[in-house]
Amino acid sequence: MASSSSYSSSSCNSPCAACKFLRRKCMPDCVFAPYFPPEEPHKFANVHKIFGASNVSKLLNEVLPHQREDAVNSLAYEAEARIKDPVYGCVGAISVLQRQVLRLQKELDATNADLLRYAGASCNRGTGRGSHHVGQNPGLYSFSSPWSTTDDPYGDHRN
Amino acid sequence: MTLKGATSQACAACKYQRRKCTPECPLAPYFPADQPKMFQNAHKLFGVCNILKILKTVDPCFKFETMKSIICQANIREKFPVYGCWEVIWQLQYQIMAAEQELQNVHKQLALYRQHHYHQQQQISAMPDYVTSQLELGMAPPNNNNTISFLNHSTPQSYDNNNNAIHHALPVTQQQQQHYSNRSDDAYTSAYDIDSKQTITTDNVLWAQNPFTNNSINENNDNAETVQSQFGVSQTLAMGSEDVQDYDELHPFFDTIDDRQSYIDSKEAYDSSSSEESLKDTTQISMDHAADDNTLKSAAACFSLTSVKLSVS
Repeated sequence: MASSSSYSSSSCNSPCAACKFLRRKCMPDCVFAPYFPPEEPHKFANVHKIFGASNVSKLLNEVLPHQREDAVNSLAYEAEARIKDPVYGCVGAISVLQRQVLRLQKELDATNADLLRYAGASCNRGTGRGSHHVGQNPGLYSFSSPWSTTDDPYGDHRN
Repeated sequence: MTLKGATSQACAACKYQRRKCTPECPLAPYFPADQPKMFQNAHKLFGVCNILKILKTVDPCFKFETMKSIICQANIREKFPVYGCWEVIWQLQYQIMAAEQELQNVHKQLALYRQHHYHQQQQISAMPDYVTSQLELGMAPPNNNNTISFLNHSTPQSYDNNNNAIHHALPVTQQQQQHYSNRSDDAYTSAYDIDSKQTITTDNVLWAQNPFTNNSINENNDNAETVQSQFGVSQTLAMGSEDVQDYDELHPFFDTIDDRQSYIDSKEAYDSSSSEESLKDTTQISMDHAADDNTLKSAAACFSLTSVKLSVS
């Protein structure tokens, strides 16, 4: 018993932060063990508080093994953001960035209009360079937060 | 679950959980029955218990906003199972970076165009005085000093004297000036076209052949002035050689100058003519002395250059 609960034993690994938090035996095939080291107990605590262990486990099983670490880290980030800001969580940061994009787009349009005045009508074809709507780049995910004023085909209300 | 006699349907949350949707259902306001996917995503990521826990921690006035953010986050996670909101944040950050970079470039272009515009305005504003001074034909006959300084085109004073010398070729020079001003607009647009790697039209080709455009477009402000001064000098050099000739005989010569300015010939021709003019510059005095007396007299009669006649003789 003591050897099984020994943290410095070389034969068995110390329980991961998840199993320590859940107070259960950390099995060799523990799905949380590679991503929640015992040195970071707060990481699992946050994730468990917001999402729950079973949901995290299901999510990890749905992604490929080489993607699981990134998935866990993104979940840890979202959980921490939600704890810091229970109302908006990480979506608040997204809204701020969206507003910044819109502001830059407006500034770009205004500056291009100035440029047109100088370059003349014959340079209208040059505006195609600068007036592309950054937020509507087809190569990028056009995200529309619930607070966005722009209509977006990739809005989050599609069901 | 539809209640008997009730007009309202069970909310998406109660429908999913297959339970009775009471009027006090806390999730009913946020998960309408016609959007089941929304609740499925939220349930998959957070779970009902965790959603309710979060709702309990916030003020009642913020519940709607909180639910909106939860639904949004769940939808993002459904779209990006691995990175979730990170993906959206990265993309937005990239868009911001690209927009800032583009804004920077556009500002630089704008500054360049403003500079061009300013220089053009300066040239245009300087032109009337230049043209009007040419109208005063024969009012300021060149003297020895002017002739010698005219030959020495390195000093600014000589440039002014060059202007006086160009008085003799007033109509053609005016044409040249107008031609240059007309081309400046083409240059303005063609510079942009060249900069944007557009097809150069025949009008722009003219400008493209100009040594002005042989240099970097972005560095052509000083070059424009240099070219103009060089052009003016070349004109005056040519004029200097014809200064002692009959005005009628100058027409063919200035026709060639006009062609030279239009840069129909290659730049080499221009350079060769410039070198020829520089050669003429060095041998100007000797040429003056070698000029025919009859030619001198006729030229003097045309321009009332009695002082020239005196200086040459």
